[in-house]
Amino acid sequence: MERRRYLRLALTAAAMAASLGGLLWSTVAEGTEYYKHVDEVMASPEEWEGKALQLHGFVVPGSIFVKPGTLDYRFQVQNNGRVVDVTYRGIVPDTFTDRTEVVLRGRLTPQGFRADPNGVTTKCPSRYDPSRRAG
Amino acid sequence: MAALGSFLLLTSFVVGSYAAVAPLAGVRRRAPRFVESGIGAFHLITALMLAASIVMINAFMTNDYSVQYVAHYSERVQPLFYKITSYWGGLDGSIMFWVFLLSVFGSVAVHVNRERHRVLIPYVVSIIAAVEMFFIYLMIAHKNPFTTFLSASPPDGGGLTPQLQNFYMAIHPPSLYTGFVGMTIPYAFGMAALISGQLDDAWLRAVRRWTMVAWVALSIGLMLGMLWSYEDLGWGGYWAWDPVENAALLPWFTATAFLHSVMVQERRGMLRIWNVSLVIVTFFLTIYGTFLTRSGVVQSIHSFVEDPVLAWLFVVFMIAILVFSFGWVVYRLPLLRSRNELDSWTSREAAFLINNWILLFSAFFIAFGTIFPTLSEALTGARLTVGEAFYGKWMLPIGTLLLLLTGIGPLLAWRKSTLAALWRQLLLPALSGGTTAGALAALGMRQWNSLLCFALCAFVAGTIAQEFWRGANVRRRSTGTDIFTALVGLVARNKRRYGGYIVHLGVVLIFLGFAGRGFTRESDTAVPLGGQTAIGDFTIRNDGIKVTADEQKQMVTGEMAIFRQGKRIDTLYPARWFFRRHENEPVSQVAIRRSLGGDLYVALNILPADVGRQSAALQIFVNPLVDWIWCGFAVLIGGTGIALLPEGALTFAQSLSAAGHASTAEAKA
Repeated sequence: MERRRYLRLALTAAAMAASLGGLLWSTVAEGTEYYKHVDEVMASPEEWEGKALQLHGFVVPGSIFVKPGTLDYRFQVQNNGRVVDVTYRGIVPDTFTDRTEVVLRGRLTPQGFRADPNGVTTKCPSRYDPSRRAG
Repeated sequence: MAALGSFLLLTSFVVGSYAAVAPLAGVRRRAPRFVESGIGAFHLITALMLAASIVMINAFMTNDYSVQYVAHYSERVQPLFYKITSYWGGLDGSIMFWVFLLSVFGSVAVHVNRERHRVLIPYVVSIIAAVEMFFIYLMIAHKNPFTTFLSASPPDGGGLTPQLQNFYMAIHPPSLYTGFVGMTIPYAFGMAALISGQLDDAWLRAVRRWTMVAWVALSIGLMLGMLWSYEDLGWGGYWAWDPVENAALLPWFTATAFLHSVMVQERRGMLRIWNVSLVIVTFFLTIYGTFLTRSGVVQSIHSFVEDPVLAWLFVVFMIAILVFSFGWVVYRLPLLRSRNELDSWTSREAAFLINNWILLFSAFFIAFGTIFPTLSEALTGARLTVGEAFYGKWMLPIGTLLLLLTGIGPLLAWRKSTLAALWRQLLLPALSGGTTAGALAALGMRQWNSLLCFALCAFVAGTIAQEFWRGANVRRRSTGTDIFTALVGLVARNKRRYGGYIVHLGVVLIFLGFAGRGFTRESDTAVPLGGQTAIGDFTIRNDGIKVTADEQKQMVTGEMAIFRQGKRIDTLYPARWFFRRHENEPVSQVAIRRSLGGDLYVALNILPADVGRQSAALQIFVNPLVDWIWCGFAVLIGGTGIALLPEGALTFAQSLSAAGHASTAEAKA
């Protein structure tokens, strides 16, 4: 009786562990994105082409262009002297402007970085942080 | 005045050390007056923190910019309301506010339980005082909110970040903090029981209500955070799996697990190690959450600046909590033996156990996802992040399973349910769920996730309705009253059980709202003056954009005419506000047309320079069923309120049952 109980318990536990493990494996494989700074990626761009990336950098002043009457954006993002061209279609966050610290989700192509829909996130420069407040 | 504030903090630290030690010494020496003096000191901390808070608020109200904290987070033109809420707008002040809330909670808990749990109180006082000392130490040694400028003070302050100048800022942090600090009370009682060895179930009774209070405060805090995000951030959603959101969700899961498993201990004397561990883990997670938010370890829009010193202080404190707490659990293992064994897997205790595993797994899964970027960077050097898709993939089946258990659990009897009895109980709810699924599929719904969710919502709603209906009918027959009085009497006789069912109903409604997310439509377009854009049934016409200003900000407001199937139904005014000296941080004022069927959500995206062209860049969402989430939370709060009602409440309906033998449990037997 006792042994059958333990066997059942062990089987249940094994089945649960196996199914959870399988699910974790499949989701981690396709669910993760590399979090990189612009200079890390642009040091050897070929390596990163096609991979899901979160790219961290600063908007180059004067580089933002919007095609009139559309939401097609082109801008440049830099970090430590390396620059990448970015294309994006959609609404940008409230705080998106020159020099904004941004995190872009998307993929690198030979023509530049293509940001996903809703893939532009800004870091609020002054959120709770008095030392970096402008003005 | 700032010197007075610093002095109050120092004094409260000293008084705290007395309150932490004196009660223990009193117990050892059997000197009740020593214990009493410790309790007195404990209440004194509360008074001192109240005084310090008054000094702080006074500094904000009188524009005392010699205090650095005030100068950073306030300015002269800031409305009085936001001057006061700036108290918890920054890191230093939020820690002080935290201690203040904890001291108030602690004093109330100690006062209420001073007679009933006389043996536990000295330990409770000592533990809460020790936790308070940690946070006061953080302020004194590292983040004193009363620090003044060494040089001349600035003529005006920097002003609270525009995004925080918002009504939710006044209520969201306090309710979340209340939930967080509230979890300290159950922990203190649990540890008191462990240390004193008084591990009968008396401590559970003291803890249950406090956990419920903290739990509902945490739920309200989460809801307000979701509402804030939804109404003000302009992205159309309410939950982004942001590390700080996750941090608040973690203790919510473990506290929910505890509120269920505590019933198993009360009824069957099982899960005793489990329960005390859940209380410890919940408390630990509140500290862990605070650590995540305040140390800058994870990157999030909420988090304060990176602060390695603070991070290390927290790490040391967290390790101390774990070693101390689980050390006592191990030491008391012989006293924590279970009094019963699980009889059958078709029993209510088994359902609770599974529910606990899933809730705990959710907590650890989310903790894992939250810390994953930091972890992967430490292990492999490459920072890998997990996105919404990853959480979605996991939490969708987990949520579905929990919802299913919400339905099945209450139908199972304690110890063992026979299959025949279970079948009788399941029939109607299953029919209601099946009919819903069939009808929706016939209507052409092909989003299987949402379809399943709707069906389960119907199933759970069916079980709840059935419980109320059967219980009320049994009671009506036995007491001879009308059905309504019988219903109230039923709830009054077993407030926790039926309050719990109402909470479940709230959860069902919340899930209904979640299921609507599968049908969200989004459109990002630039609409010229007089131009139109269509989304779903709606057509939106740009009738122009105008600029106005008040002394604090410039406001760019769009006038959007809304049509539905060709008929004009409404006008929406989405806007963007540009606060002076914060022009780079405009704040969206989203316009929402609410209805229970779904919201029309319009956010305006425009720079002042573009106003001349009168072209509006609009982000438009149609969010079906989203308002059910807020309704669900309201029901959940109401249900908890009923469960928390004092013994004597609703006697008018109870007094009719002098015989008092009506309850569904007996009706089932």
